[in-house]
Formats: sequence, C-alpha cells, structure tokens
Amino acid sequence: MLILVALELFVRVLHLGKDSPARYIDEFNVEKWVPNQGGYSVTGNRRMNFAEYHINNSGYNSYREFNPTLDKTEIALVGDSFIQGFHQDYYDSVGKKIENQLDDVEVYEYGYAGYDFADQLHLMHQYKDTFDKIDYVVLGIRFRDDLFRDEYKVIYDRMRLESSMYKNARKIKLLVYAQGIGILDPVKKFPGKLISFFKNSSKVVVEPKQETAQEIEEKQAKYIKNFESLVEKYGYDKSKYVLLLDKSETPQVFLTYLRNHGFKYIDFGESLNSSKTPPTLVFDQHWNNHGRNLIAECIVNAFKRFSVN
Amino acid sequence: MLFNSFEFFVFLIVVYFLYWFVLKKSLKGQNILLLVASYFFYGIWDWRFLSLILLSTIVDYIIGHKIHDTDDDTRRKRWLWCSVVFNIGLLGFFKYYNFFIDSWVDLASRLGYTMKSTWTLKVILPVGISFYTFQTMSYSFDIYYRKLKPTKSFLSFAAFVSFFPQLVAGPIERASNLLSQISNKRHFSYAQSVSGLKLILWGLVKKVVIADALGPIVDDIFSNYGSYPSSTLLIGAIFFGFQIYGDFSGYSDIAIGTAKLFGIELMSNFKFPYFSRNIAEFWRRWHISLSSWFQAYIYVPLGGSREGKLKTIRNVFIIFLVSGIWHGANWTFVLWGLVHALIFIPVLLLGNNTKYKNTVIAQDSMLPSVKELLSIFGVFFIVTIAWIFFRSASIGDAFSFISGLTEFSTAPYFHPNGYRMADYYILVVLFLCYEFIIRRDERAPFNFKNRYVRFLVYTIMVFAMMLFYDSGIDRSFIYFQF
Repeated sequence: MLILVALELFVRVLHLGKDSPARYIDEFNVEKWVPNQGGYSVTGNRRMNFAEYHINNSGYNSYREFNPTLDKTEIALVGDSFIQGFHQDYYDSVGKKIENQLDDVEVYEYGYAGYDFADQLHLMHQYKDTFDKIDYVVLGIRFRDDLFRDEYKVIYDRMRLESSMYKNARKIKLLVYAQGIGILDPVKKFPGKLISFFKNSSKVVVEPKQETAQEIEEKQAKYIKNFESLVEKYGYDKSKYVLLLDKSETPQVFLTYLRNHGFKYIDFGESLNSSKTPPTLVFDQHWNNHGRNLIAECIVNAFKRFSVN
Repeated sequence: MLFNSFEFFVFLIVVYFLYWFVLKKSLKGQNILLLVASYFFYGIWDWRFLSLILLSTIVDYIIGHKIHDTDDDTRRKRWLWCSVVFNIGLLGFFKYYNFFIDSWVDLASRLGYTMKSTWTLKVILPVGISFYTFQTMSYSFDIYYRKLKPTKSFLSFAAFVSFFPQLVAGPIERASNLLSQISNKRHFSYAQSVSGLKLILWGLVKKVVIADALGPIVDDIFSNYGSYPSSTLLIGAIFFGFQIYGDFSGYSDIAIGTAKLFGIELMSNFKFPYFSRNIAEFWRRWHISLSSWFQAYIYVPLGGSREGKLKTIRNVFIIFLVSGIWHGANWTFVLWGLVHALIFIPVLLLGNNTKYKNTVIAQDSMLPSVKELLSIFGVFFIVTIAWIFFRSASIGDAFSFISGLTEFSTAPYFHPNGYRMADYYILVVLFLCYEFIIRRDERAPFNFKNRYVRFLVYTIMVFAMMLFYDSGIDRSFIYFQF
C-alpha cells in the first residue's frame, strides 16, 4: 500500500499522468469542456509528449477568447482532436500559426475530441449568431470516421466519463497513468479471456472480414447521404464554409459529390504526404509542430484566395 | 501462460492458496496439486505435448528402477542408453530432424548433387523440451552413477519432471536437489516466501525493464544491419547482450522465486556473468544449470581434463559444440559454441579456469580495480561478439554484421519508432550499477539493511517497470524457443 502511495507521489511529481478537463452539455445541448480550466496533456510512459491546454470561456482549448464582431475578421476552425490540439501547447496551435501569418485576423478553434460532422454542424447551428459573425469557417472532416450519423444526438457514452466514479478515479494520477500506458489492459481483458477459456473458444480467431466492392460502395453512398441530411438539417453556408480534408484518404465519389454540389474544400494531404520531415508526432498520430505549420499554410493560402474573391 | 502475464499472477495466487491453506497437511495432496498445476500451466500452450512429458516421465521412472535393480554393469549401461536414446530421440525428432535433413541436402548440393528436401516434416517445437528431457536424463544418469536412489513415488517423480516454475526454461534441476524436496514434507516459511517474492520482482524488472525495453531496438538493428553504421551495430550487439541476459536471468529469477513460494529451493542459474574476469568465470556464472549439466554428464565422463591436453581440448570442444546445438537447430549456435570453445581453451591450458572460482569483482573493496575493469571489459567484448552469431539469422548474416562493425563508421542512431535513445543508454548504465551493488548474492537482490532504503528501492523498481512497460510488444521469453 505504501508503495502505491509512493508511486502516486512519483507520478505526480514527474507529472506522468495526463490531466483530464471536465466536460458538460451546455444550454444549447452542445457537448464541450467546462470553461476556464487548464492542465497538461501527457503521452507515453516517460512523458514523450507534454503539452499545456487552456479551456477558454467558450469551452474550447485556445489561447484567446471568442468574441466575433462584424468589424473584425475572424476564422473559425471546427473539428475533432486535431483542432482541439491537446497534443500541443495551446499557445502554439494551428490557429496561432494562422494568426502569425495573417494581419488583423482572429482565429477561433472549436475543437473537441470525437466531434464528427454532426457535432460540428449542430454546434454551428446552435451558435448561429456567433458563427454568422465569423467570416470564414473551416470544418475538419475525415470521410471514414465523421459521417456515421445523419443527426446529432448527445453521446452519453462520453458523458459517462463525468460520473462521480470516473471523476474520482481521475484524481488518482497513478491510475490515470497506468491506464494510459496500457498496464491495466490485461486485468480488464482477463474476465473475457477466462470466459472464452471455459467456453473453449480461445483458439477461435475471428478473421477481420474483408469488405466487398459492393459493401464499400454502399457504405460510401450511406455516408454521402448522411452528409446531405446533416447539411439539410443544420444548414451550411457554402459562401464561407470550407471543408479541410485529406484528398488521398477521401473516396473519389465524395470529392465528385462535393465539386458537383458547390462544397469547397482544402486538401492538406498533398502538403503533408510530400513533406520530407514527418508531420505527425512520434508517440501520437496528431500533427507535430511541422505538421501544424503545413496545415496553417494550407488554410492561410485558402483564406487568401477567399479574401480576394 | 507467461510469467509476466496477469493470467500467471492469478494462477499463482490460486495454486499458492490451495497449496498452503487447503492442502497444507498432506504431502501427497500438495504433490498432486503441483502436478495438476504444472500440467495445466503447460497445457495452456499446447495440451497435445503433455503426452511427451508424460511419456518421458514414465520412461525414465521405469529406467531409473531398472538401472538400480541390477548390479550387472552391462545391463545398467544398456538401460542408461535406453534413457539417453529415448530423450535425445524426442529432442532430435522435434528439434533437429528438419535441421539435419536440410543441412544434408545443402551439403549435397554444395558437393554437386542435387537433392530435393522431401523428407522434411511440419514439426512444431514443443516448449521446454530441451529442458525437461535433460532433467529426466539427469535422473537416470545420477542413478547410474549411484549418486541417487530411484524414487518409489511416481507422483513425486512426475511432479519433479513437470514442476511448473522451471518446466519450460529451467533452471535444469537435478533429482538429488529437486526430487528430494518434492518427496519430503515442506514447511511454510514466511522468510522464504518473502525472499521468493523479492526474486520474482527482480526477475520481472530484468524482463520488463531491460529485455523487453531493449528488444525492439535490437530487432531493428539486427534486421537492418546493412543500412546502419558500425556505431549502431555496436549498440545492437551490446543491447542484445543485455536483452538476453535480462530475459533469461529474469525468467530464472522468477522461476526460483516462484519455487520458493512453494517451499522449494532451486539452484541458481545466473551469478552476474557480465562481471566475469575471464571466460571460465563467465561460464560459471552464465546458465549455470546447463553448464554444470554438461560438465557432470558429458565432460567428466569423457575424461574431463584428466587425460592429457589433447583430450582436454577435445572435451572442451565437444561440450561447447553440444551446448551450441542444444540452443537451437541452426549452425549459428554451433559457431557461437565454437567461438566460446576457442576462447575457453587458452584459459584452461594456462590453468586460469579456476582462478576466480570463489571471489567476485571488487571482493574486498567498494570499487573494482583498473585491472578488474579491463578484464571484465575484455570478457564482455568477446562475449558480445559471440552473441552476434547467437542472434543472427544465418552465419552469413553474422559475418556481414561483424564486417559492418569493423568499418568503424559512426552516426547517431534513431529508432524508426522514434524511441528516445538516451533513456535506454541511461537505463543500461543504471542497471549495471545496480547489479554491481548487489553482486555478492544473486539470490538477494534487495538486501539492504535500512528498511527505508529497501522501500525506496522496491518503489523505484515498480516505477521503472511502469516507465518501460510496452503493451504493444511480444513479451514471451527468448529461451522458450530453445
């Protein structure tokens, strides 16, 4: 027991366990972080990646408050963990890098881990007054992950993490750290293994099913349908909204659909894939400093073209 | 079921509880439990090969009695040969059959005869076969040499052959030590259990923190040695030395510690081999149960060093070559044994093989002398070069690796997964420092008088395991393949 206490102390002193901000559902039924909190995000056994976050008054990780007006020029970045940016210091985010390259432009980062396209459009719909004042909105989208649903609903599985049991567990930094490095996985998997052992099904290996061409086609059609439904339900201002995507990972059929229906997009894939230095972190799939520079550059170029037009 | 798995942890608690709390008063009950637990432990891997263990047990149980029951030397020898032929036959079929067929076909093709390797079979190597066959053979040998009387209890003998802590990777026990303990009543000792737990902890540290942490780096360097400079190859070879030491000695410590929990003392298998001052000392400190097995049952019967220099040299070559081939069905292991034989013979001929028999480095001082340091660096260097043969996939690869080493090119090494290499360099240095501190007793890794120091060391050890735990790697032990 004393060893556990000492380990907790070690983990705290060396700050090996990540901090977890509290989340909530606001009065507009939007899931976000509880405003005005800060902490550190940690990746890896030995603090391989260590970054500070700061949740602003609007409930998003950012170095600035979001106060759009009609007089200023604002860009909003809406997306998932890549935009949320817990993997980077909040003052060195994609948004900050964009601001550094543009004069008199404020960048608002509406990033939240797990946000799919439904979350994004629902947020913009609920905060219509705010987004109406923003001049240019970039929505990060990954076709294979972000179009599962055709309607926004609160994901209660995520909100379950706010139960008092989880909240208290998160206070034990040793537990957070152990969970993060996967040392508890064997314990969690043990009951399942035991059951399968007694059922004598441990040797049955289920091969991942290969999707047929028809299944892939059907899935893509469904995702495009979801996209259409979401746009119809929550609205989409084609004049100032633009999608941020990796063309190399997006099916041609969706790209054609976007082109045919006047949805603009920024392709960051070409820039990232052709980079000689790695654009992602080593212990994390998110963008590293170089990757964020490239993303910022793509958005700045697109914004400049938008401003000229 | 791996020692470093959660399943083993649960298994151990259950068996321990039944052993000491339910069956405490019944020796027979405890032995039945040990046997069932051992067969379960082994059967989890592949229950089909339990039949081999059982067969080996029955054969040597009967042969032991047959040897003992007659005074006729010829018949005794015949029965002994039956044991040897049976056990080596098992080993030969499962471990070496394809190797010898392929080697024969390869040799024929080199001599200009084209042969098709149609005789090779799809044979799975049963885990631990090299260990338990040698253990059962030692029983027959000891009875033959009249060092031991055969046990009447088949149950005790079966539990001795399959004793789960050391079944799959040793230490290869002698019946005179292990069987006698299994045959007699064990008494619970708190001190022994605590000592066992300490050894388990230290074994886990060596496995998780050293072997598993260095493994991916070694794998990368040995897989891509052609594209790395000499400095990186040197890192690969040195790290492999630590990886295999951490892996195998870690396993042995967990085995010895686990046996202690059941009131049984196993022999030591490693005694800080990298602090050896000559190669003879290294072999008294590395895989002791195997070295002593070869010495007792091959080297000495062949005449040892009693029959002149030439025969001594021959005998040394034989045990090192056999030791090499014992490790695996590949010529790389034979060459590894040959390298060690070549280094060992001069030490033996100069009469230095027993020079450091009863001392450790820095025996009476805090730090080693310069001479001692130079000696251990020298031995470590030679052993490291020999490891290259052990680790390489083929003899060609080993020589290419060594050739790369001699180019003396340097460049910083970056692991493809982006490992922070400084962590690993520091880790190896700290590990060596700690091993130096505890160098006097391999069975007491946390022998600090001050309880606060002990507590701090335990905490640091557990913490180190967390710092280097990697859930994404293969955590099995290297010696399982032998």
